[in-house]
Amino acid sequence: MDPVLLKLAVGGLAVLGCIGLFFGVGLALAAHKFAVKSNPMVEEVLEVLAGAQ
Amino acid sequence: MLTVATARRNALYCVAAFFMLSLVLGCGKEYRFIKAASFKGPRGISITFAGPVDEKWAKDQANYSINEKTDPDIYLRIAAISLRPDRLSVTITLEEDINQKATHTLAIKGIVSEGRNMGSAIVDVKKFYLGYLLSILMGAMIINNFVFTKYLGLCVFFGTSQKKSTAIGMGITFTIVMVASAMMSWFLYQFVLKPFRLDFLQIVVFIGLVSLSVQAVDTILRKVNPVLFKAFGVYLVLVIANCIIIAVPLILADNEYNAIESLMLALGAGLGFLIALFLMSSVRERIELADVPPTFKGLPIAFILGGLFALSFMGFSGMSLF
Repeated sequence: MDPVLLKLAVGGLAVLGCIGLFFGVGLALAAHKFAVKSNPMVEEVLEVLAGAQ
Repeated sequence: MLTVATARRNALYCVAAFFMLSLVLGCGKEYRFIKAASFKGPRGISITFAGPVDEKWAKDQANYSINEKTDPDIYLRIAAISLRPDRLSVTITLEEDINQKATHTLAIKGIVSEGRNMGSAIVDVKKFYLGYLLSILMGAMIINNFVFTKYLGLCVFFGTSQKKSTAIGMGITFTIVMVASAMMSWFLYQFVLKPFRLDFLQIVVFIGLVSLSVQAVDTILRKVNPVLFKAFGVYLVLVIANCIIIAVPLILADNEYNAIESLMLALGAGLGFLIALFLMSSVRERIELADVPPTFKGLPIAFILGGLFALSFMGFSGMSLF
């Protein structure tokens, strides 16, 4: 395979991987910081209730 | 504990400052020695230098090459070059009239000032800037309204235009997310994808960025303003499924817009969608009360309405503001 293309592919994977990791960590931190306490019972009740929608 | 918090805040400020700085730098890609370049009359381009340039260099036509930015292989022919007596400004006259709506690229070779070589420069020449920005904004908002002239984003358009209140909520959320994701994708395209020659991946990256910004707005809004979050409801997530929000970054990348132009296009697209939703919802609220034949009830009549709106928006087509 052409080494230029190979370099492009590997470079692309690395760059996009870094961007993805960066934003992923950012989102995770944001979710942690802006976490909203929700009542766990709400989900339990929803689980029990019937409802296709 | 306190120091950790301040350090973290400082780091956040640093990142924000860096982001703003790179945006500002990205706007002014002009070469330092050239202070201004603008169209002058129907055939002229005037360049203002920061210092006096040598007459012999300035009068040499081989030192300048001008082309429309979209046609880099067609050079415009230069008829004459005149230098102002103070040697700070050069006016290039072309053989034919310039299409002033298009951005022109002007390459200047080896500027000589007071016997010193100041290097080469490539500048973009554009029409009066504020007017140009306004024409991008109005163009995206009304003249080339994404919904009524390009038929993009129809699913969300028909889905959320039943009531005025939801239409306005959707329009505002959409505008916010649009601006955020368009600016991010502009930044990423200009400073990451282009330098690494990954522009063929733009669609994948832009889709990721859109979902990222929607998720971020969702997370932050849930905590910061729960009332607004409740009001937006499902529409916030629906923004992901909108075509306009992916079309705008692609248009930005295609046209090589700079930061402010991108902002204007994104804002125009968002506000245009808001206008479209508002108009449609006002009519659909009235249609509810009208006597529509049973076959046309609901979505079919809405599509006919959309067609009528598109027809009336055709009246704006081809308009140019400045």
